[in-house]
Amino acid sequence: MDTRVSETKEAKRIPQRVLIGKVGLDGHDRGAKYVAHILRDGGYEVIYTGIRRTPKQIVETAIQEDVAVIGLSLLSGAHKRLLQQVMDLLKERDASDIVVIAGGSIPSADIPDLKAMGIAEVFRPGVSSQSILETFASLVKARRPAA
Amino acid sequence: MTNDTQDLVEQVRAGTSQRVRATARLMSLVENYPERIPEFLVGAADWPQARMVIGLTGPPGCGKSVLADRLIRAFRTRNPHNSIGVIAVDPSSPFTGGAFLGDRLRMMRHASDPNVFIRSAATRGHIGGLLLGIKAFIRVLGLAGCRTVLIETVGVGQNETEIVDVADLVVVAIAPGHGDAVQLLKCGLMEVGDIFVVNKGDCEGAAQLYAQLLAVLRLNANGQGRRGADSCLVSALHGRGVEELVDLLEKRAADSEEAWRSRRRQTMVDDVKEAVLEEARQRLSRRLGTGPLATKDFTRILRGEITVPGFVDELLQQLTGTGEVKDHHGGG
Ligand SMILES: Nc1nc2c(ncn2[C@@H]2O[C@H](COP(=O)(O)OP(=O)(O)O)[C@@H](O)[C@H]2O)c(=O)[nH]1
Ligand SMILES: [Mg+2]
Repeated sequence: MDTRVSETKEAKRIPQRVLIGKVGLDGHDRGAKYVAHILRDGGYEVIYTGIRRTPKQIVETAIQEDVAVIGLSLLSGAHKRLLQQVMDLLKERDASDIVVIAGGSIPSADIPDLKAMGIAEVFRPGVSSQSILETFASLVKARRPAA
Repeated sequence: MTNDTQDLVEQVRAGTSQRVRATARLMSLVENYPERIPEFLVGAADWPQARMVIGLTGPPGCGKSVLADRLIRAFRTRNPHNSIGVIAVDPSSPFTGGAFLGDRLRMMRHASDPNVFIRSAATRGHIGGLLLGIKAFIRVLGLAGCRTVLIETVGVGQNETEIVDVADLVVVAIAPGHGDAVQLLKCGLMEVGDIFVVNKGDCEGAAQLYAQLLAVLRLNANGQGRRGADSCLVSALHGRGVEELVDLLEKRAADSEEAWRSRRRQTMVDDVKEAVLEEARQRLSRRLGTGPLATKDFTRILRGEITVPGFVDELLQQLTGTGEVKDHHGGG
């Protein structure tokens, strides 16, 4: 009868919100869409922003949508500069608690630099859906101290 | 950053550099902890409110998000100093609880405009709860300085169209290629619309659909004598007809602004009443579960020793007599 009380007693699962998008000038979004759908099926609320976004658009969207994680797909080339801009803007907006993950055709030699920049994880092409879900889950969990 | 409702409210109201983040955080509180929504009513009487809350609904794929993008653009151009808030609702998957929130994709050119705040929301299973949440979203956006609020929801059935109850006026969009106007406006869309839009005016069949729409609206107006609905033919993709739609919206606002304001004020009072009843219900429920009046006492009613109202009298006396009624400040 008293459903409301029993509902609050159960540990209510709150879906995590993530932003998936693509920065830079290159065209297709197969990789980003693939990740978005894996996450959707994994119980995440995925704000999908599409291709060719600027770092500023990504950061403002992430703040308005109050996401836990930003997942960005990039092609090698301007990836370092673009990711640095995202990190700088997050800092500027006092939002460095938002986790940033990168993916795409990023040379493995660049990964240490990206991690030093504060990028939490770098997905290489061909990464399995299971490993994507595990990575997101552990990063989200690590991010949530209070609340 | 703090998670305290009143701190966040102050940050939003003060319009500091933290405003956008605080607004977003407040909305997350609403979403994640709907039981805390009553906290948003405390002191809300003097919160600034939006002038116009527009519901935009219609079948999936008819172009609501593209139209929303155009409306944002038109409102921003007409009134460069006014902010606009957008709430874009998409369904959660009933199986995984996840959601693909893609409406915003169509509005990304506004992402770095500080006068546009867009928030995507998933239905999270129950529309009833969402309804409460959307009402709180609207208030938070008003507090954040939005003069106009636009709510995009998929209109495919009664439940979904309930969300537009929280809007001052409802725009129903349909598009050619998915049946005739009568079919498209089934499922309660006909009843909720103030303005009907045929979108994709550039596509084949749009003119026919618009003619059907006009015929349906005429029939409906004759039958019910309610305020006549407006209609227009637009092509959101190409931006055609959008100015006419905004003219219609502005005209409605000019005519009804006062009525909307007082309706929203009444809604707020109703929400306070609900919150008070809920709090009382929970306190009584707690007392029944654990207090001296344990469940076995209900048998006194069954045995005919006491009536239900008499029992409740005792219960209320117990509740007030034992200090369960805490001393809350700031009521009034
Ligand atoms: N031809 C044409 N296509 C449109 C128009 N408006 C939207 N679309 C397309 O219709 C599809 C669905 O649009 P969207 O806004 O996402 O629809 P929603 O599901 O109602 O929000 C997209 O591919 C749009 O490009 C229009 O006026 N004309
Ligand atoms: Mg949409």
